[in-house]
Amino acid sequence: MRAFRRERGSLVAELDATERGVIAAVVADVADLLGAGRLEERATEDAGPADPALMPGMSLRTQEIEPPEDDAVRRLLPDASVDDEEVAAEFRRLTEDDLRRVKVERLTWLWDALTAGPGAAWPDDAVVVPVELGGAVAATLTDLRLVLADRLGLHEDEDAESLYVELDGEPAEDEDDPQAEVRRYLGAVYVSLSWLQETLMAALLDDLGRSGRDGQGRQRG
Amino acid sequence: MSVQIAPEETAESQTGQRLGDAWVTIVWNDPVNLMSYVTYVFQSYFGYPREKAEKLMRQVHEEGRSAVSTGNREQMEVDVQAMHSYGLWATLQRGGE
Repeated sequence: MRAFRRERGSLVAELDATERGVIAAVVADVADLLGAGRLEERATEDAGPADPALMPGMSLRTQEIEPPEDDAVRRLLPDASVDDEEVAAEFRRLTEDDLRRVKVERLTWLWDALTAGPGAAWPDDAVVVPVELGGAVAATLTDLRLVLADRLGLHEDEDAESLYVELDGEPAEDEDDPQAEVRRYLGAVYVSLSWLQETLMAALLDDLGRSGRDGQGRQRG
Repeated sequence: MSVQIAPEETAESQTGQRLGDAWVTIVWNDPVNLMSYVTYVFQSYFGYPREKAEKLMRQVHEEGRSAVSTGNREQMEVDVQAMHSYGLWATLQRGGE
């Protein structure tokens, strides 16, 4: 795995076939959790999403949506209020379908980039991200890490720190324990994605510079 | 921590709202989001200078949360939705609360 860096106007990392396969599998799992079905089984580009809620223009809901039951999905589509159920319910009704769709579209883009290859102009191991998609890919890496963190039980800053310590150590006497093995695997994927995202952020922050971008940020009115 | 309730002048004058209608967007700490990424989101989405983006990021990290924008409820819903699309957990609330 090689860090993201600027190459020929794009943000380019290198991941070998195994690394691409591991990350693509996580991408597909997260898309599935968000209701997109299995990305591996998409028949054609225009087959449309599996869940009607992911169809554009379906967000004019009049009925409330229940919060997701899976804690990881609820972290991807979180409550917009800590103490006002009306605010949270209204927000979820207005935005959840859009948020699911945006996240699934970004996951689908990354899945294609990881599985289809970078094209003849690049080395086979290259993962090529156009600069304008850098923020979207960073957001998708975040979504992947949020789901892995939930499965790893990382709830506080200290949990994330102790994961690194845990992975640095030798497997304990429970090394034949399948659950411990899965945890080490998920933990290693989490740590790798964190490192990869950190290198992407270094490139993107470098591009942004130190000044604000008033007028280029979100627009109001 | 104190929550800034002064709304952005332009937003308020456009909608003619009273101060009491000011809402804020709060971003909450989590163990997953990278400090560099949170800074990037605050800088690229809100258009804040690096220094302000880093200050808000540190507030999230050290105090557990930070008020990152103010405006009317509809505007805060837009900001909260954007934060959720970036994978940050954000909530909206009335500025005086």
